Amino acid sequence: MRRYAIRRSLTVVPVLLGVSVLVFSFVHMIPGDPALTMLGERATPEKVAEVRARLGLDRPIWQQYVLYFGHVLHGDLGVSVVRGDPVTTDLLRRFPATVELALAAIVLAITIGIPIGIGSAVWRNSLLDSLARLGALTGVSMPIFWLGLMLAWFFGVQLRVLPTGFRLDSGTTFVPWTNFVMLDATLQGDWSALADALRHLVLPALALATIPLAIIARMTRASMLDVLSREYIRTAEAKGLSRQAVILRHALRNALLPVLTVIGLQVGHLLAGAILTETIFSWPGIGLWVYESIESRDYAIVQGASLFIAAIVVVVNLVTDLLYAAVDPRIKYE
Amino acid sequence: MRLATFTSLVALALLGAVAPAPAQTFVFGAQGEPVQFDPAVITDGISSRITRQVFDGLVKYKGATTEVEGALAEKWEVSPDGRVWTFRLRPNVKFHDGTPLDAAAVVWNFERWWKASHPQHDNQVKAGQTFEYWEAQFGGFDDQSIVSAVEAVGSHTVRVTLKEPQAPFLANLAMFVFDIASPKAVERWGTDFGKHPVGTGAYRFVEWKPNQEVILEANPDFWGPKAKVKRVVVRNIKDNSQRLGALKAGEIHGMEGLNPDDVAVVKGDANLQLLLRPTNTTGYIAFNYKVKEFQDKRVRQAFAHAINKRAIVDALYGGTGMVASQFQPPALWGYNRELKDFEYSPSKAQALLREAGRGQGLSEITWDDGKKEPLIFWYMSRSRPYFPNPKEIAEAMAADLAKAGIKTQLQTTEWAVYLDKRKNGQVPLYMLGWTGDNGDPDNFLCYFFCQPGAAREGFYTNKPLADVLLRAQKLTTLADRAKLYRQAEQMLHDDVGRLFIANNQPPLAFAKRVRGYVPHPTGSEYFNTVELQ
Repeated sequence: MRRYAIRRSLTVVPVLLGVSVLVFSFVHMIPGDPALTMLGERATPEKVAEVRARLGLDRPIWQQYVLYFGHVLHGDLGVSVVRGDPVTTDLLRRFPATVELALAAIVLAITIGIPIGIGSAVWRNSLLDSLARLGALTGVSMPIFWLGLMLAWFFGVQLRVLPTGFRLDSGTTFVPWTNFVMLDATLQGDWSALADALRHLVLPALALATIPLAIIARMTRASMLDVLSREYIRTAEAKGLSRQAVILRHALRNALLPVLTVIGLQVGHLLAGAILTETIFSWPGIGLWVYESIESRDYAIVQGASLFIAAIVVVVNLVTDLLYAAVDPRIKYE
Repeated sequence: MRLATFTSLVALALLGAVAPAPAQTFVFGAQGEPVQFDPAVITDGISSRITRQVFDGLVKYKGATTEVEGALAEKWEVSPDGRVWTFRLRPNVKFHDGTPLDAAAVVWNFERWWKASHPQHDNQVKAGQTFEYWEAQFGGFDDQSIVSAVEAVGSHTVRVTLKEPQAPFLANLAMFVFDIASPKAVERWGTDFGKHPVGTGAYRFVEWKPNQEVILEANPDFWGPKAKVKRVVVRNIKDNSQRLGALKAGEIHGMEGLNPDDVAVVKGDANLQLLLRPTNTTGYIAFNYKVKEFQDKRVRQAFAHAINKRAIVDALYGGTGMVASQFQPPALWGYNRELKDFEYSPSKAQALLREAGRGQGLSEITWDDGKKEPLIFWYMSRSRPYFPNPKEIAEAMAADLAKAGIKTQLQTTEWAVYLDKRKNGQVPLYMLGWTGDNGDPDNFLCYFFCQPGAAREGFYTNKPLADVLLRAQKLTTLADRAKLYRQAEQMLHDDVGRLFIANNQPPLAFAKRVRGYVPHPTGSEYFNTVELQ
């Protein structure tokens, strides 16, 4: 196990190196000159040349990469092309908002998805199962931006019970310490800020949770059905154990292993989904930031944030793999 | 936290109605994130919406017009040769940091904009900023500039000397970029001044929460009409529909950036009102003159007669558009009211094509190096103020052209690539437009037509037109200048140099209880006149 853990961890290095090359090349392969996007209709050839020189875009691409990578190794993701602010600082300031949203979404997806999956498998082909399957199918195929707009329209505009965007009400005087607003409000004992933050979190978390929720429910159902047909379940039932004990203690523990992998994989989807969700709900996290930066062709931000997100996905997958090995004693890696 | 407390908090959060914005706070929905708040180096409308509240210039635009009136300068005189401007400053005005607004402060600002060696200019350039508008409006820095001296000739009198007369001088000074900053604050914050703006304006800067909002509060010592609303919050809501949703939900009081389809929604909502910015933007089609077919004026005239501009404006501008007959929008004083636009007539277009020896129509073009290719008509992929629905507008124009026998293939690409292709003169026929900066006709016409043969203008060459425009730049009498700009529009029309399609009045939406918001053609709007009822 230890050897596996070390070996598996080492694979992360070439993956991240590859990712950095890919991200860098993709961002530079996109046609269109960032200098021109910045200058817009008013661009003159001299101004464009001046901006290109300032951004180092007039150097050969490999030189640009070597310089960039050297800086990345020192934790420096460069400077925003449009604003001139350090990308690393901005990234760290916005990251808590995305984490808060993603965590809320994954918690929602797990706490709703797994019970639905279990119920669906246990009462297979019942009305509940049919409804759950239909719901899961709809959930998987529903575009986040559409769902987000509908949620905001219904709960925000029509019923006016929940805000249509942001993390807190406008002009609030609450000053977060860490930018994990819920945590900060709790630590400061500011309950009205906490309630405000919770209210703002509901709709975006729901929109972002839909797809992972549907996938988790479907996976749990399939995995439960598989386990429930195993012989040891029949043995347990024959021993006279209660149905509840069979399902929760014998079936569920084994059925959840593949679900764990799926949950790990959802982190990537959540971060990708955050770009849309954050844009729809003006949620000031990394997603909205990347979206705005793509529009303004702020390649330094797009590059830095993509690299950061890729690193998170790689690390979460590593952790999932290691957890998987830890919780399932049958699995031996050599 | 105990479960019961947590549960009750969740219940409170879910059931509690959304708190409406407090009455003394005006919340405006902006289309994106500001860049920063140092007026001298910004160029975008989202940032300048904030700086206009915090800073004042020597002069400003009056009400909803581009006429110039005094702001920090109470009055001014100009020498008979149009070269020496003397401004008398308003007495007893203070910056938000308590330092006095005097002649020394104004001279300091001018020197910062103008002299590349000024420490607060040099540090900005080293940090990657440019004093772009100074360069564009006043000819460059140091010796290159049209400005030759700026002096304090008394505690509250400033004299600016120009090398030669510049007709749009005052209109230029009224632009947001030439608002006066507190020298003490600029020196204190250096390149970070854009995050800690200090001016003399009706509102003081309080806080900028990145990707969320900017908070301002009324300046009780403001020299002009005091702000009626004590606090202003400008929220950044990227998505147009989402912003309208927030307005309908009562979370914001006003917004810009309405989708054309939503104009009707706002009009039909009893709780909302629609305001239009006076038009200052023109969308056009440009020909590439390296295309042999377009060198024939009759072909260009055929295009002009083929497009049904009225139908396009009526169907695709949400009721905020106007048919354009020339480059300047009607609100500009150089506008030519006598000019008679080409009438919409497919049969005339066909006749002109026949006359040009293209009786079978036009679907292929020949570049001047002999290369032939299908006629591709380029449109932009993103909405612009002058073409709010570029794709639909392009489709409508292509259908009109087809009726006259001109078959085009529509094509688009990402905005930066589009601008790149246009700049290099690689597109045969394309849509673009312009939004005015300062209400001066020079700002519309000279950028495009003072350099005959420029690749970015499709190699359009009209030397007599350029001469007229350059002459108009030097005159000091408005009437004489207006005459030349009217003449310029007629010349451009007679030559069918471009096809001007539409002007637009960008729509703004507000809650019914908002009063006193004055939309301005340049987008420079002041919040101190706004009231919440």
